[in-house]
Amino acid sequence: MEYYERKEKQVELQKKIQQSNMLNAARLRVLKAREDHVASLLEEAKRRLGDIVKDDNRYKKLLEVLMSQALLQILEANVIVRCRQADVPLVEDVLPACVQTVKEKTGKDVNIKIDPDNYLSPTAGGGVELLAQKGRIKISNTLETRLDMIARQMVPEIRTSLFGQNTNRRFTD
Amino acid sequence: MASQTQGIQQLLQAEKRAAEKVAEARKRKARRLKQAKEEAQLEIERYRVERERQFKEFEAKHLGTREGTAACIDAETNKKIEAMRHHVADNREQVIKRLLEIVCDIKPELHRNYRRNV
Repeated sequence: MEYYERKEKQVELQKKIQQSNMLNAARLRVLKAREDHVASLLEEAKRRLGDIVKDDNRYKKLLEVLMSQALLQILEANVIVRCRQADVPLVEDVLPACVQTVKEKTGKDVNIKIDPDNYLSPTAGGGVELLAQKGRIKISNTLETRLDMIARQMVPEIRTSLFGQNTNRRFTD
Repeated sequence: MASQTQGIQQLLQAEKRAAEKVAEARKRKARRLKQAKEEAQLEIERYRVERERQFKEFEAKHLGTREGTAACIDAETNKKIEAMRHHVADNREQVIKRLLEIVCDIKPELHRNYRRNV
């Protein structure tokens, strides 16, 4: 008699375990769908970078600003620039303005050379990579690296705008 | 003398008959006991079968409800995923535009600890 009682309890327990497992699997599915959405969004953003680059004027201004930013960060006297092969003329145009900006801000001169041997892959978004001290210091200021950095920092914001504010969150500071 | 043996014989006979009656009674008691035991055993058996049947019914019902709840959970999840997809499709453009804006919004700045005169 107790045998049957025990068996009944076992069956109940198993049912609860199974239910909990199913609930977990369902939650995981939802989470995975969220991850997939975010990933696909970032992929598309990367693709659109290529569109920005096509507009020459805008791209030139971008290059100038990117270069200046990287130069101000690297703060070296001799710098080698790597860019895409197609961008070489644009970079050469932009160089003097960047040197000027750096001189204004730091009071120092920079000696910049374009790397003739290594180019950035042509499929990558535009941008520059700066190297100094025989390639020991490297600053990667391509549009792609910028997008990666920004995406990493903005993930919470992306999540709230895509999926709405989290109802279980109690503190937002 | 004859009357004495007769009396004794009567006594003996009476004793014998009494002994027989006692034996008979004992046998009947034993038989009744056995009968009662058998009946009890039968009843136990019947009860066990009943319990077994109840238990099987219980099990079947539980397994049945599990299928129901599984379908329920799946329906809920699918609903959530659908709703999420709609929401994402609505806001996607905006988010991508904002991201690209930030990528192109570059301000070259010097580090705040930089000292001009080396």
